[in-house]
Amino acid sequence: MTEKTNDSRRNFLYLAAGGLGGVAAAAAVVPFIGSMLPAADTLAASKTEYDVSTVAEGQLVVIQWQGKPVFVTNRTEELLKQLDGHDEMLKDKDSTAIDAVSAKWLTDENRKYRSIKPEYLIVVASCTHLGCIPGYKPSAGRKEWGDSVPENWPGGWHCPCHGSLYDLSARVINGSPAPYNLYLMPYKYKSDTTVVIG
Amino acid sequence: MLNTIMKTKLFGWVDRRTGAEAIIKSQLTEYPAPKNLNYMWNFGSLALLVLVIQILTGIFLAMYYKPSAAFSYGSYTVAFDSVERIMRDVNFGWLIRYMHAVGASAFFVVVYMHIGRGLYYGSYKEPRELLWIIGVVILLIMQGAAFFGYLLPWGQMSFWGATVITNLFGALPVIGEFLQEVLRGGFAVGDPTLNRFFSLHYLFPLLLVAIVGGHIHALHVVHSNNPEGIDLTKEEEKIMFHPYYTVKDAFGVAVFLLFYCYFVFFNPQAWGYFIEVDNYVPANNLSTPAHIAPVWYLTPWYTILRSFESKLLGVVMMGASLAILFALPFLDRSKVRSARYRPVFKQMVYLFFVTVIVLGYCGHSAPTPTLKLIGQIATTYYFAFFLLLLVVPKFEKTKPVPEGI
Amino acid sequence: MRFKQLLIAVGALAVLSFSQSAIANEGGGAALKHAEIDVTDQAQIRRGLTVFTDVCMGCHSATYVTYKGLMDYPEIDLSREAVDELRGDHAITEGMRTELSPEDAESSYGKVPPDLSLIVAARRGGADYIYSLMTGFENDPEGKIPEGNYNKYFTGHRIAMPDPLAWLDHDAEDTAQLEKDAQDVSAFLAFIADPHQNERRAIGCWVMGFLLLLVLVLWRLKVEVWKDVKH
Repeated sequence: MTEKTNDSRRNFLYLAAGGLGGVAAAAAVVPFIGSMLPAADTLAASKTEYDVSTVAEGQLVVIQWQGKPVFVTNRTEELLKQLDGHDEMLKDKDSTAIDAVSAKWLTDENRKYRSIKPEYLIVVASCTHLGCIPGYKPSAGRKEWGDSVPENWPGGWHCPCHGSLYDLSARVINGSPAPYNLYLMPYKYKSDTTVVIG
Repeated sequence: MLNTIMKTKLFGWVDRRTGAEAIIKSQLTEYPAPKNLNYMWNFGSLALLVLVIQILTGIFLAMYYKPSAAFSYGSYTVAFDSVERIMRDVNFGWLIRYMHAVGASAFFVVVYMHIGRGLYYGSYKEPRELLWIIGVVILLIMQGAAFFGYLLPWGQMSFWGATVITNLFGALPVIGEFLQEVLRGGFAVGDPTLNRFFSLHYLFPLLLVAIVGGHIHALHVVHSNNPEGIDLTKEEEKIMFHPYYTVKDAFGVAVFLLFYCYFVFFNPQAWGYFIEVDNYVPANNLSTPAHIAPVWYLTPWYTILRSFESKLLGVVMMGASLAILFALPFLDRSKVRSARYRPVFKQMVYLFFVTVIVLGYCGHSAPTPTLKLIGQIATTYYFAFFLLLLVVPKFEKTKPVPEGI
Repeated sequence: MRFKQLLIAVGALAVLSFSQSAIANEGGGAALKHAEIDVTDQAQIRRGLTVFTDVCMGCHSATYVTYKGLMDYPEIDLSREAVDELRGDHAITEGMRTELSPEDAESSYGKVPPDLSLIVAARRGGADYIYSLMTGFENDPEGKIPEGNYNKYFTGHRIAMPDPLAWLDHDAEDTAQLEKDAQDVSAFLAFIADPHQNERRAIGCWVMGFLLLLVLVLWRLKVEVWKDVKH
């Protein structure tokens, strides 16, 4: 047995041992980090049911879904009319950004309304800037809201934290620090008035 | 690989500011160790490994465990529920829990082997007396950590085991009542007990990290004993820790993992020894299980406790059985270290090992009169072993000890 | 050498006797019957679930088993419809709980029926014990314990639970079916006591295989490296 053979066998074994050790270490990390992902029961609390008929006309309600705040608004005919005429103010009028948070129920017909039934808007109430809950300022213009809204205010939401603005379909308005429209989520109507979110 | 890292600029930057290279070389890579160490010397590094496993798994369990004895449904409590949640809902929670439960027993298996090595080869003798003493401190803290930890699932064994042991402390004169109340936080084991035991269970292993550091430091000053028990004076009798003992320890780790993973994946309850059957029943303070026994690694001391009629004497003797371990280096005055060259001591030590196993068996079983008698005999020998060591060296004819290895 | 052998012998004896004592029956009653169960057998576990919901849930809960779990565990894998039927008004994330209140249970039976989520783990003998218990109802040979409450396998023989499968009244042709029901429900209970057990053993096979390889490589490496040393 020459020195050389010893060395090459030794090196091979070191390499093999190191390789196996690395595999073992990587495999060992998986369950620990994995355990920090949401547990099965946390994930199971993923659907919320709500009766939209309890929301009066023109009223805004905030409910919870997956621990997040959700707006349910009952938009009147008047308010629905306010969705037109300001397309150039919107960053993402067709809700094309972030496919993951748009919803499969979104069609070309309801794109303006961003809801299955035009009168009931259901969106995640976290400002897409840094997460505050925006304030509801539905009437157009500055009569009610003064300087806090721009001159051509179409009605919608105004976030108190850093001033982001959204229209009555929660579409983000140019000039806002928020990059995206308020997020949509999957939901469907179990009956005429009961919606299942999630 | 370590060499490549140590040659980098980054390492050089750190080394200039910490002296890391010198430390790594003197304590690990170029640390001299006897060349004749056998596999009984692997258990120290294995103990360190298991300590790390316990702390790691413990931290992740603590992300989900809730130390509350409040009732949730029927006889289930928030604490018991949280453990079941870990087992069922948390991703890989079942694995982490089983690793922790099996790891607790593995820790004691490894440490008992490590202590056995120390006894047999005289590793507690001059100049390693303090090393041994620190080791006994480690054993005591381990027992404390295990005791606190066992309460946490809040099963029947958890609750009643804690009740019995805290009552033990009550037997001590003068300070007993106070100690009991401070441990329990109430009139009986309950929610306050659970919460503080959780806190202490988290603390003790972290204390261990520091004390193990001291243990290793004390070792590195006097250097390892060896199976022959002789002082090594010649250079060629020693070899560098790296690569010889790093590789040998790695091999030992792999063999250990084989046994450990068998239990974790195929038999985590280990027939009721690692996770006791009664602990799957939620704690009920109005009903004691038919058969209470402490977990296997505490059973020898339980037998010693039960060997005495008087409650106080039982507690005192149990304490004495641990305290006497501290005295060992000073009781055994033989100049010869290793049992290889001490024929009388060798038989005594083997008998001592058998005795501890017998004590364990008695502690685990229901106390019949026969077993009680056997337990008492074993207890007698347990103490006799240490006391005999005061006189044995005077007449023991030791075999001639070799000059070198 | 002789004492070392003695040590090993005593150690082995101790280990053997330790494990023996763990398999015996719970309270020293009759030796248990062996249950033919397979926790990977979906058909058996589903049959067991049916026995559980039809018979046991009249008094017992299994609160750690959620209705959603019945859909999610591959070993049960119920459809959404089947689960909706089982759960009625209860939310799908709720555990399976009996309608029998503890107060009513105490007045009717004298004891609150224990939750069965962990019963197989909580009794010595496990699934064998549950199976034996279910088919162990007899008439008291000493005539002291009333009919339906004497069980051959229960510690002390007086069990508060009255013969749930009506084993006592069965005639010869019912035997096979009742035995099957008892085994099936034991399989279900054995599964739910530790729902990840199959995954655990599967991963375990890979881990053991890997470790055998690792032991081999490290052993050869150790031998190779130690060739330098005269030992």
